[in-house]
Amino acid sequence: MKPEWNQWAREFKEQYPGANSALMPLLHRIQAEEGWLSDETIHDVATLFDLPESYVESVASFYSLFFRNQVGKKVVHVCVGLSCALAGSDRLMENLEHRLGIKEGQTTADGEYTLLEAECLAACNQAPVVQVNLRYFEGLDPERPDVLLESSKSPEEEVKP
Amino acid sequence: MSQKYYLLRNREVADIDRMDVYLAHGGYQALKTALTDYKPEELVDLVKKSGLRGRGGAGFPTGMKWGFLPNDGRKRYLVVNSDEAEPGTYKDREIIEKNPHQLVEGIIISSYATKAREAYIYCRGEFLFGAEQLQRAVSEAYAEGFLGENILGSGFSVDLKVYRGAGAYICGEESALLESLEGRRGNPRLKPPFPAIAGLYGGPTVVNNVETITNVPAIVTYGAEWYTSMGTAKSPGVKIFSVSGRVSRPDNYEIPLATPLRSLIDDYAGGVLPGHKIKAVIPGGSSVPLLLPDKLDTPLDYESVLQAGSMLGSGGCIVLDDSVCMVGATARLVKFYREESCGKCTPCREGTYWMTDVLDRIERGQGTEEDLDTLMDIADNIGGKCFCPLGDASLGVLVSAMKFFRDEFEAHVREHACPMGAKLYDTVNH
Amino acid sequence: MIRLTIDGQEVTVPEGTMIVDAAARLGVDVPVYCYHQALGPLGACRMCLVQVEKMPKLVTGCTTAVTEGMVVHTKGGAVEKGRKGVLEFLLINHPLDCPVCDKGGECYLQDYTFEYGPGRGRFQEPKIQKVKNGPINDLVLIDQERCVLCQRCVRFMGDYVGEEQLLLEGRGVETVVTTVDHQPATSQFTGNVIDLCPVGALLSAPYYHKGRPWNIDRHSTVCPHCPVGCSSLATTRESHIIRLEGRPVPDRDWGWLCDRGRFGYDFGYHADRIADSWVKERATSAAQATRDVAEWMQQTNAQYGPGSIGFVMGGQFTAEEAHLIKKFAHDVAQSDNVAVMRNVRGYLPAALNGTFQDLTEADTVVFVGVDPYEAVPVVHLKLRDRLRHFSQLKVLGVGPRRLTRDTMPGRDYLVASQDEAVFFARALAAAAKDGPGVQTLVDSVRDYVLPVSDADIEAFGQALLDAEHLSLLWDGENAAMAEVLAVLAGLREKPTAVLPTFGPVNWRGYEQAGIDPRYDNVEELLNKTRTGEIRMLVLWGADLTRDLPDRQLAEQALAKADYVVSAQVVPPLDMPYIDALLPVATWGEVEGTYVNMEGRLSIGAAGVQPPGQARPTRTYVANWGRLFRQDFGLDDEWDPFDSAQGDLISRAGNNHGPAQAVPRPGTRDASQEWTIIEGDWVMENGMPSEILEPRETEFVARVSPEDAARLGIGEHGGYVEAQTAGGTVMIGVQADPAIVERTLWIPRGSRHDWAQHLEGLVKLTRPEEVPSV
Ligand SMILES: Cc1cc2nc3c(=O)[nH]c(=O)nc-3n(C[C@H](O)[C@H](O)[C@H](O)COP(=O)(O)O)c2cc1C
Ligand code: SF4
Ligand code: FES
Repeated sequence: MKPEWNQWAREFKEQYPGANSALMPLLHRIQAEEGWLSDETIHDVATLFDLPESYVESVASFYSLFFRNQVGKKVVHVCVGLSCALAGSDRLMENLEHRLGIKEGQTTADGEYTLLEAECLAACNQAPVVQVNLRYFEGLDPERPDVLLESSKSPEEEVKP
Repeated sequence: MSQKYYLLRNREVADIDRMDVYLAHGGYQALKTALTDYKPEELVDLVKKSGLRGRGGAGFPTGMKWGFLPNDGRKRYLVVNSDEAEPGTYKDREIIEKNPHQLVEGIIISSYATKAREAYIYCRGEFLFGAEQLQRAVSEAYAEGFLGENILGSGFSVDLKVYRGAGAYICGEESALLESLEGRRGNPRLKPPFPAIAGLYGGPTVVNNVETITNVPAIVTYGAEWYTSMGTAKSPGVKIFSVSGRVSRPDNYEIPLATPLRSLIDDYAGGVLPGHKIKAVIPGGSSVPLLLPDKLDTPLDYESVLQAGSMLGSGGCIVLDDSVCMVGATARLVKFYREESCGKCTPCREGTYWMTDVLDRIERGQGTEEDLDTLMDIADNIGGKCFCPLGDASLGVLVSAMKFFRDEFEAHVREHACPMGAKLYDTVNH
Repeated sequence: MIRLTIDGQEVTVPEGTMIVDAAARLGVDVPVYCYHQALGPLGACRMCLVQVEKMPKLVTGCTTAVTEGMVVHTKGGAVEKGRKGVLEFLLINHPLDCPVCDKGGECYLQDYTFEYGPGRGRFQEPKIQKVKNGPINDLVLIDQERCVLCQRCVRFMGDYVGEEQLLLEGRGVETVVTTVDHQPATSQFTGNVIDLCPVGALLSAPYYHKGRPWNIDRHSTVCPHCPVGCSSLATTRESHIIRLEGRPVPDRDWGWLCDRGRFGYDFGYHADRIADSWVKERATSAAQATRDVAEWMQQTNAQYGPGSIGFVMGGQFTAEEAHLIKKFAHDVAQSDNVAVMRNVRGYLPAALNGTFQDLTEADTVVFVGVDPYEAVPVVHLKLRDRLRHFSQLKVLGVGPRRLTRDTMPGRDYLVASQDEAVFFARALAAAAKDGPGVQTLVDSVRDYVLPVSDADIEAFGQALLDAEHLSLLWDGENAAMAEVLAVLAGLREKPTAVLPTFGPVNWRGYEQAGIDPRYDNVEELLNKTRTGEIRMLVLWGADLTRDLPDRQLAEQALAKADYVVSAQVVPPLDMPYIDALLPVATWGEVEGTYVNMEGRLSIGAAGVQPPGQARPTRTYVANWGRLFRQDFGLDDEWDPFDSAQGDLISRAGNNHGPAQAVPRPGTRDASQEWTIIEGDWVMENGMPSEILEPRETEFVARVSPEDAARLGIGEHGGYVEAQTAGGTVMIGVQADPAIVERTLWIPRGSRHDWAQHLEGLVKLTRPEEVPSV
């Protein structure tokens, strides 16, 4: 357990009438640093909340943005909702798979990218859209995945979820 | 088209997400008016008179909802639902990203009206930027003394926190949202008790949608009569419609209720793409039944859309033109519900799984005539039998598509392929 | 009360009753999966759909409370279609492996599908693949593919037991039931999820593929492992008990078992089971052994006259068998020296003996020397049940270690065992000094120094008096408590109940058969043996060396007796003294009556034959009667059931005489650094079980975490050296936060030899070299 986790847990807990409300904020915070939530992390967080590990595991596994397996430095969520699909998101996904040499759900060997489907990202006017580490990339050309991969490299986009 | 904005004021005023700009354009005046000129009960009355209805989907009268809170001295909560994840709906996101102060102002006024001591904005996990924007607005509001203890010397105090979900559509359902906010899996709760009686941390709680609350400062500023001067008697006021799909200018449009659907599509969203015709419209987010072109003159108010055979819902309007395969579109939407079923109840969990598989098969050209009947029977076995409304929501488009476009489904079966050569199916079921 | 109509029949039920339970009162079966009355409504499976007039949609009968005048239909087209639909949904991802599923024939999914389900499957796609036959632990298997996600198991372990070792992982159709970090669940209540699972998702590992409904028999019985005597069902096949299941008793018992009870059924055919007769250390025929023993009895009687043979009942015999022994002793062996084996000195008069009903009504419970979680596990669950309905339940512990725990939170008063009665007496004197008998109680202990503040003593006394419904659980260690409890009951006008947690399991049954079960009785019998008044000992299931608190007395008596005859199931520690070892039939092999800690009579069934030469008590006494050429009315109809009392023993009599002073405890030897305390731990004492072996630990003794750290004992326990008056022994120890410093806790009646050799413990030290486990 990183020493600061305890501090964070205390700060989050102070903010809510029910201590368990601080659980998701802490998981977000830790994942932002670590990239994912390992079994050890789950164990440590349970300790910090004096909760059974089963509880924390059960909560974390419910939410699709908590990663229980290691993911790439950049998590690429391609929206496959209807409006994006009508604008070619399937094609965009194919092209990204091809370009990155992985299938949806996988991570590149160099640990740079994880490619995932997202359900409607509430940006249907800009379809097709992609989130890279939860930052929006809108109005993409399905045939030009490189544009996305290049632009997502810019340093100000390096912020983690 | 030039128009006046009450909710999407960011369209008129650049940088209105900044406190100084918002203040310079009359921001937080409504708050001051509310705190000085109104008692809480009078505000509830004002909102009742305005006829404002919930914009989260169900269209429940907001003032009436506020009136349900029991007067038993327990600490009250106001929770703002910013989980917006219904396919085709993206109005709340624009508000929180671009005009967050108006929402914050609305929350403070609504908290005063409902005597809530604590307020939360539950933000969809994917809305990282939106949550940051809200957090910044909230901090600025604290700095100005609009939040916290004894706001503007009125004696009223409220705290507001921004909370981030982590990816689960079901957390938009209010009781699942409360579960999530309390640090649990987002499974819906048994009702009764309803949130007004036992909501967040067991206390009396109001849950309202982002857009609903963003209306409140405008109603305080311009009055209930102003609000009822728009729309119809039962559906007064303005509403944001998110238009997407096969139109020239997909975007959010803030228009008076009862504006005809045709006008929204043609006048605002620029109509369908050249050379195409409208095939069907999903007028209120992915959960509602399709409307055919013969219903394009339906006024967009709760009653008229219901009358026309669909629902106004969240106002996410997805336009499907003649290039769209209805089977593919339906399959895509049903798959959404399968991905997002919380898994608690049997019909929702298994039924959406099954329907997705059958639709996928039909789309691949491997379906049978019998599948079509099975599909309708599965829908019948889900309908009205789930723990929460998500199960029913998965049926809106499917059932109406099967009714209006059964020939397309049959063609897939007969020709063992999509007659339109559409490629929608490629990612379904991967 | 609410009146409503279900399927045309009227029924009146309490407010808050759910439709399914109201229907059950009428014998109308509404199918359910996720609902269980003990766990409360969930509304997940949707199997219980019913139609309520004036409601637009079908409703779930498990989540809908009855209202006045409600009209419910549990049949009809809409309901049937709804049920059929739900069943079909449950089946689409359910594997088609009923022919190889242990639940086949006992499965609600099968039953309901047969009754209400769709005729044939319409689902053609591949089913979701999940884990099959994964372990919950060594005793319970999970097949995630068969799971219908009713959450009964998860809710039972989490909400009900309070040990959250199962969880739902994932979301939607991918959701599975699994364990924390996929590690084995360690709770002692895990087996209940097998009974709770309505389908074949959770299965017994030892029963796995051992039986099918058509080649097994099931018999109603009671669990023989602790004084709770849980009602259960034994499954037998080819003369082996191969499974034990809980047997719910309406309005009384949910049918929970602890894992010891559920899985410890194999002692009857354990490798240690005695199946041969031994005389003077040589195996012999049953007939010869019987003849030899008869001869010794005749010889002893001839030489020393009536009363020269002593009989001691122990073990797990039925009340009827105790009656036979008593009758045989009196009529044939001419002796009234018959006693019940005791491992603690306390005795509780029946008049004070409460029932489990008292636990469900209690507002205050006091654990006197006993942690029910360990000694009488299902009582812990009964208390958890009470806590769920009555969160203000006050739990108090009095004893030499902490007796409350996370799952049963309360307040502990740490006093040495020998001081418990003093503590109670002084508490009563502080809170009710003029109460009848109170001053007499404290006569000789007014100035005795207790390690508890006066304020705490008074508060405790007040709590005893203020309780609306007081229930005490008592381990019997401190005999003077009986006096205190009698005075306490006299002081209180409100319900006061005591539940004894001590053994042997059927001591009340032996008492019903007319044998005095008090410690004084067995002590006197052994004293008479030591002094030569009794010349022959017949130990019917009793193992003096293991169990008698006065080990010296046990050894002297055994050494002095001319003949020691011991009827046993597994080898006793008395072995070196035994002249004839008789293999005897036991639980599951003999039908008869057991009386549990609430004084309730239940029948234990006979489902299997005893192995080898093992014979029931009846066979032995009948043969001896024949050899003595004496008909002693073996077949007279003695029935422990008293029709006036129903299945509870009489609480009358035992009028308490004038109060007696609590004796002043002797002063402890201040030079002794360590205190040894004993406690009942059903996982550790009692009959051997191969099935439970994976659950057993070498490290059964316990010390405080502080001492453990000083001794260098790791997380899972380790060996330490114990220096005693008699030398040095290695003992297996683990840390337990319930134990206070400088205290060594050992289980009563442990099968570990060293537990017998700790008298005069001087110190514990870190061993030079740790023997490998
Ligand atoms: C499956 C499901 C998802 C929902 N998602 C949202 C949502 O994302 N945002 C929202 O405001 N309401 C959503 N709702 C509606 C809420 O339950 C609730 O009615 C609403 O937040 C109340 O606010 P309002 O009265 O202001 O509309 C959803 C309901 C269901 C059943
Ligand atoms: S394992 Fe059995 S009891 Fe547990 S949730 Fe699954 S079906 Fe229910
Ligand atoms: S959404 Fe899961 S049960 Fe309704």
